[in-house]
Amino acid sequence: MSRIGVFICHCGENISRTVDVERVAREVGLLPGVAFSTDYKYMCSDPGQNLLKKAIQEQKLSHVVVAACSPRMHERTFRKAVEAAGLNPFLCEMANIREHCSWVHENKEEATVKAVEIVGMMVERVKKNRVLPTITVPVTKRSLVIGGGIAGIQAALDIADAGHEVILVEREPSIGGHMAQLSETFPTLDCSQCIMTPKMVDVANHPKIRLYTYSEIELVEGYIGNFQVTIRKKARSVDEDKCTGCGVCMEKCPIRKIPNKFDCNLGMRPAIYVPFPQAVPNTPVIDRENCTKFKTGKCGLCQKVCGPGAVDYEQEDRLIVEPVGAIVVATGFDLYNITEKPKGSMIKGYGEFGHGKIPDVIDGMTFERLASASGPTGGKILRPSDGKEPKQIVFIQCIGSRAREKGISYCSKVCCMYTAKHTMLYHHKVHDGQAYVFFMDARTPGKAYDEFWRRSIEEEEAVYIRGMVSRLYQKGDKIVVMGSDIAVGVQVEIEADMVVLATAVQPQAGADALAQKLGISYDKYNFYSEAHAKLRPVECATAGIYLAGACQGPKDIPDTVSQASAAAAKVMTLFAKDKLEREPIVARVREAGCVGCFACKKVCAYGAVEEKEIRDRQGNLIKVVAYVNPGVCGGCGTCQATCPSKCVELDGYTDEQIVAMIEAL
Amino acid sequence: MTTPLNYSYYPGCSLHASAGEYDLSTRELFKALKIGLTEVPDWFCCGATPAHNVDELLSLSLCAKNLELAEQVEGDLAVACAACFSRLKTAQHVLGESPVKRKQVEKALDAPLHLDGNVKHLLDILARDLGLERLAAAVNKPLTGLKVACYYGCLLTRPTDVTNLDCVEAPTIMERVIESAGATTVAWTHRLECCGANFTLSRPGVVIQLANAILDSAKAAGADCIMVGCPLCHGNLDIRQKEIEGVYNVEYNLPVFYLTQLVGLAVGLGPDKLGLDAMIVNPMPLLKEKNLS
Repeated sequence: MSRIGVFICHCGENISRTVDVERVAREVGLLPGVAFSTDYKYMCSDPGQNLLKKAIQEQKLSHVVVAACSPRMHERTFRKAVEAAGLNPFLCEMANIREHCSWVHENKEEATVKAVEIVGMMVERVKKNRVLPTITVPVTKRSLVIGGGIAGIQAALDIADAGHEVILVEREPSIGGHMAQLSETFPTLDCSQCIMTPKMVDVANHPKIRLYTYSEIELVEGYIGNFQVTIRKKARSVDEDKCTGCGVCMEKCPIRKIPNKFDCNLGMRPAIYVPFPQAVPNTPVIDRENCTKFKTGKCGLCQKVCGPGAVDYEQEDRLIVEPVGAIVVATGFDLYNITEKPKGSMIKGYGEFGHGKIPDVIDGMTFERLASASGPTGGKILRPSDGKEPKQIVFIQCIGSRAREKGISYCSKVCCMYTAKHTMLYHHKVHDGQAYVFFMDARTPGKAYDEFWRRSIEEEEAVYIRGMVSRLYQKGDKIVVMGSDIAVGVQVEIEADMVVLATAVQPQAGADALAQKLGISYDKYNFYSEAHAKLRPVECATAGIYLAGACQGPKDIPDTVSQASAAAAKVMTLFAKDKLEREPIVARVREAGCVGCFACKKVCAYGAVEEKEIRDRQGNLIKVVAYVNPGVCGGCGTCQATCPSKCVELDGYTDEQIVAMIEAL
Repeated sequence: MTTPLNYSYYPGCSLHASAGEYDLSTRELFKALKIGLTEVPDWFCCGATPAHNVDELLSLSLCAKNLELAEQVEGDLAVACAACFSRLKTAQHVLGESPVKRKQVEKALDAPLHLDGNVKHLLDILARDLGLERLAAAVNKPLTGLKVACYYGCLLTRPTDVTNLDCVEAPTIMERVIESAGATTVAWTHRLECCGANFTLSRPGVVIQLANAILDSAKAAGADCIMVGCPLCHGNLDIRQKEIEGVYNVEYNLPVFYLTQLVGLAVGLGPDKLGLDAMIVNPMPLLKEKNLS
């Protein structure tokens, strides 16, 4: 026979104002199985908890129901108190008579009756609660970081500095990401390369970091603390151990006219190349699509000139399996290429801006390469079409961003600031030039950001025109920019020499495919979803996977670095214990009844359902049933609702308990 | 044997007045192409710009009544004027989306609405219903060597989800039609700019400036002539052309054809059946030069 204790909270006046708590305690006390019931002003306070502990011991209570606020608020508090009194914490349940009752009703009589019923239901439910042992899961104290931009680099360095091994995987031949492409950074105008490249070198030299560049994630299996990651290391055609990075192969390569993606296709590179001189690792890669040796079998010059004999045309892709305990996803962003409407995308193109047709209409990243000291023009602002210095330059903000009718409704966050920076860089380099900016709003929330933007207008003489541009067209060697100045209410036409479009920040191509491999969720734009927008901003809903940088949403460098360090801290928290403890509210399969249809496996958002073979004593296979991995299960109950044979149930929420609750009404 | 094409026809007021040659050439072209065209009985003004500027309910009701009248004639509704096309399409769209407005208009007309019929611009009929291949097959005198600047103006393609005629930013339907007739089209910058429309009466200075930019762009692109599908655009580019030349001290001499006139020429219709004498900028020297008359 149960000896249930019921504790009714006044919540100051929050509950007792509308619910007659004393009457609830009296009436509930008469229910079968209830051995003790009382009320108190603040059950969550120290004296309230002591009252509860004392009652458990004195009354020899077997189960506890606390009728108070939402379990989201104080379930942990009361379960801890129950545990301290020597009872299994999962024998304590909360009846929510605040949010579900006192706060939403006015009539005291009716609210009191309802409160009695709510408590009565929980009494029936708690009777059937089982003693649940805490689940422990072993932890592999190594971490995978996907993406070698500033986010991935920061996260990797932080985790490695804490003494844990890090596997850093980068898709491109070098780490560095977009930050390595930038010229100067806002709001201080310090050179991006100068602050970025030392960190890249730190990554390469760190004894705890294993770097895989030119590599991609092939497969992710397992769960928090116990992931198995398969990495595809693409054939570089150059042996990284032998190569000294001398660069002779690149000098001798006869194919020289391949547009360099790193320079936004402004500069050219050979078929064997490093994307930029400061690349880490400084090991070239052969672009097999454009290499004569791979296309026709002839040439082979780079192999002949390579002193250490590092060039290896026979090299093949390798698959490497790495066990890790946590994953940081830092795959970053790309700029919306407005030249064409991506196939199958909800995003509509921007034909009216002539990007891709008019050579001197470029995007923000291309301008960064023009302004960069290590860029294709050596830092001179020159037109791609004829190499002339543009004397009138127009910047247009919000291209793609904040344009619902064009398919993207979000703000890309960084463009206001980088455009202000561009006007300054332009003014520093072209003294007699004039910069115009078409903008909707200037969004400059950030430390020293608004001051920076003001400076671009007040000291660097940029002319800001509030309004959007309807279209651009080429007229002779000028680009006519047709726009409106809504502050004055007039049409504006500017004959510009060059136009820079602040195109929207988007997740990297293939972000959705990677998310599916990882089992993490993403929004309609393919940005990865955090577990909670405010309180869990760096964790995924999938346990053990964390987010850093612009893959989660548009972010500038300070925000990216902060989030990367936060993600690293989360990984370190996970690695601080040898075994993971987690709440045992998980689904369990009744194997005798399971028919192995795996409907539960299809709906499980956490990937917790596995297949388990049932064999007899001779080892003959009898059947295959579902098995819920308790380390992975999120306790959502979707499998329970789906199972056609009612053979999977969530502890604490079994069908028997739900029926008992309904019958108590 | 393909099914015969038959349409109800809504000429609109302009085609009975300043754009008589558009009406004439449309009827003659369709006759030559063996496309049936039956005028909507007792049609009246669509309300054009004034109605919807003053009273949306009035504008919607005028169009709804005309759509109801069009139901009496078999076939989709063929519309030549870009403004009529825009108003009728807009009325269909708005009344289809808003039950409240639909109720108001039904009350005003004291009749249930008929909104399901297709409203089609002539371009749509030529390019899609007849099809470019059949159009090309009907060409007897291809417009070889004639460089045409296709001018869309504002209303044919906008708003895109209302008119559904072609891509709003980079339409090609006019080019495709006239290239099927053997002409060469030019790539130019002001295909989609506004000509100033009915400001031609209240603020002609605005129209002169805007129309000049259009003519200038067409000339710069090497066009011999301009092709339009809107009576108001035609007025602003053709009737005002001499005046514009005077104001800006330039010489354009760009004949402005309705699309039915140019296609009609290619099909083999004579100038008298296309109303070429009604054009202010005389096209005959150009047509002679290109051996097209």
